[in-house]
Amino acid sequence: MNKSLRFLIVLVPIMIFAFFAKVLIQDDDKVLRFDAKIFPSFQLNDLDGNPVNYESLNGIKLVNVWASWCITCLVEHPYLTKLSDENVQIVGLNYKDSDNKASEWLQKHGNPYVFSIYDPRGDLAFDLGVTGAPESYLLIDNQVVASIQGEMTPKKWETIFYPLINQARNNK
Amino acid sequence: MIGELSHFLSLSAVVIFCLILIFNSIFFFGKIHPNQLSLSLRMFNQACSLIFISFGIFVYLSINDDFSIAYIASHSNSQLPIFYKISSIWSAHEGSMFLWIVFLTAWSLLFINSLHHDHPLKRKTLLMLSLIILGFLLFLLLTSNPFERILPFGAIEGADINPVLQDPALAIHPPMLYLGYVGFVISFSFISAYLFHGNFELEWEKDIKDWSLVAWIFLTIGITLGSWWAYYELGWGGYWFWDPVENVALMPWLAATAFMHSLYASSKSSVLKTWTMFLGILIFALSLFGAFIVRSGIIDSVHSFANDPQRGLYLLIFSGLITLLALGIFSYRLPSLNVSRYIVSGSKESYLSMNNILMITSIFSIFLGVTYPLIIEALNGEKVSIGPPYYNTIFAPLILIASIFIMASVDSLWQRSKPIKSVALTIFIPLMLSIIFIYIVWHVTAIFSILPYIGIFSGLLILFSYLYRIFSNFLSKKFINTGSAIAHIGLGLLFLAVSLNSILSYEKNLNLAPGESIQINQSIKEFSFDDIKVLKASNHDVISVEVSLVQDGKNISLNPQKRKYSTRGQITTESSIHASVLKDTYLTIGDQLENGSWTFALKINYFIKWIWFSASLMVLGMLITIFKKKVT
Repeated sequence: MNKSLRFLIVLVPIMIFAFFAKVLIQDDDKVLRFDAKIFPSFQLNDLDGNPVNYESLNGIKLVNVWASWCITCLVEHPYLTKLSDENVQIVGLNYKDSDNKASEWLQKHGNPYVFSIYDPRGDLAFDLGVTGAPESYLLIDNQVVASIQGEMTPKKWETIFYPLINQARNNK
Repeated sequence: MIGELSHFLSLSAVVIFCLILIFNSIFFFGKIHPNQLSLSLRMFNQACSLIFISFGIFVYLSINDDFSIAYIASHSNSQLPIFYKISSIWSAHEGSMFLWIVFLTAWSLLFINSLHHDHPLKRKTLLMLSLIILGFLLFLLLTSNPFERILPFGAIEGADINPVLQDPALAIHPPMLYLGYVGFVISFSFISAYLFHGNFELEWEKDIKDWSLVAWIFLTIGITLGSWWAYYELGWGGYWFWDPVENVALMPWLAATAFMHSLYASSKSSVLKTWTMFLGILIFALSLFGAFIVRSGIIDSVHSFANDPQRGLYLLIFSGLITLLALGIFSYRLPSLNVSRYIVSGSKESYLSMNNILMITSIFSIFLGVTYPLIIEALNGEKVSIGPPYYNTIFAPLILIASIFIMASVDSLWQRSKPIKSVALTIFIPLMLSIIFIYIVWHVTAIFSILPYIGIFSGLLILFSYLYRIFSNFLSKKFINTGSAIAHIGLGLLFLAVSLNSILSYEKNLNLAPGESIQINQSIKEFSFDDIKVLKASNHDVISVEVSLVQDGKNISLNPQKRKYSTRGQITTESSIHASVLKDTYLTIGDQLENGSWTFALKINYFIKWIWFSASLMVLGMLITIFKKKVT
């Protein structure tokens, strides 16, 4: 039997395991911090059809980009619900979705959002620099102070967002 | 303190498994003592019994609402019916891992004790099984301990099981799936033992054949139930989503299917022996990989358990070591395995090998689909997602080629090729019938889309080949392998049903106020929203809607619901389905709009019943195969 084949039978699984170990170990928190970048101005409706704009985001808000087609959004949903129960003001940015499907999704899984900005073409998302769903942006007085791509986890919340919010509250 | 007893019993099992391994490794190089096996076997049986008792106690605690145990407190509730108190055990990570271990132990115990006492591979198989059970037990106790207490005071009330899991399907879907997954530990350990043993005159296929067939049946039922559950209960509106977790269940299934075919072939001719061995190892390795993907949270999925890198790392290292142990010895023994027998082209085993290659190709494609987002993210940090279009495009041609080989193999012989002339007729007739049938489909539906048509054509080829074969053998009173024919007809029907479903099904979103009525299309002449009620049930409130339809001249009443669960405040959607032979009328309610009307999602899904039916046929075919062998 071919020697290299024998070698491959063992080598390929080792490479696969090594790859997974690397992915597992690496710190996957991709935090993009800004020196206070201003949130883009916009004029859109929320999912209930009420007009919303820049002013609606005053104060401390967590803007969460979501869509009914996004599986990871469903994964982070219970945690967002928990945060909203703890009085974190979360504003949804419904991204490239249809209002019917989005409302149905919220009805089915519960609504943690104060309101959801309806952005079917992704205009605001484009100005904001959204690459996909889910993403979360922390706004303090309309300034984006931190953002993450991907799922919101307790670890990301506690290490990145919570300290910034605390700091902002203390400054006031 | 019964909880501590249960914990203690599991710990004792760990100790005994360690003793078995240490004891046997001390004597590994020396001469084997005559009583060594009996003693090891006795210890093994006792350790297994301890695990069963420990699990039994845990079930008892869950039934009796011991909310001082953290796991029970966070996944059960005193208001739950007893049935769900039990099934809540496998509704999350720790408990389901416990169940997995119990099944692993049960399979191992039954298999080891079924082997003759003097079987030369008995001791090595026992050691391999002990090692695997020990690894999982340690994983349970070290990283995901279900026995943990809430101290000093227990919870007064449990947090309740997730409402979507309050369904009879949950009670059976995971257990069936796990029985299937872990059932292949037998082929894995036995083949490893055979390779370690090094006496290649021994026959190994016979001893594990039935076990693998039974495990395959469980795996098939488990996957089908999962799909059924997603469709009927979760209100997902579909039956298969190419979700990573579905994919990691499909990979061992494909490997197992390939394994059984080549196991069958290697009982007829020795040509595929080595390959069969490799597959036997691969199935369980893929099951381990599946456990790793689901339980490490490395890939986002609706199925994922809590994200915990530590668990992931343990599982990765453990399954890596076990897999490498088996593959390493396989690679080491490869030169001494006598394999180089020439495959006659046109013989049954040649088609079988081709389809084996196709199945491995599908496994690889799925593996790539599952890991590709991770690879890309590791390379440049971008997030990509791989969805149904990828799988549909890859699978359509694979299915077509596989069907052609299946068609050719129906009338072929073992170790001999048949002259083209004698095969031509058996290929020509099914081919013509399929072409005529697909023309009819095109004519009737007036829809054309390439991928579903490939699926339909593949299904028809398989279906007509076997039907023609049964028909002609019936006329000439020749033998037919009933089990295989039924299972393959099931496969053909599955391809047909899935493809027809994808071209015919449609969806409508509606807005209606109570009392209103509209016409939807030629088929549904009337859709009326008759009544809406709010009801109270033991642990939830129900908004119940009554809708009546006039569909194809028949009156149908549907009763979709929305439920709000009191303990968790979660809202679930209960779809209402009217199923006829050809199509399902699937209705869910959405929100109430400001003007008082409600939104509805109406889906007409074709051939859904046929999907479950064809899966049942495959299982039935396999049962016949097992049963018939016992009789003859």
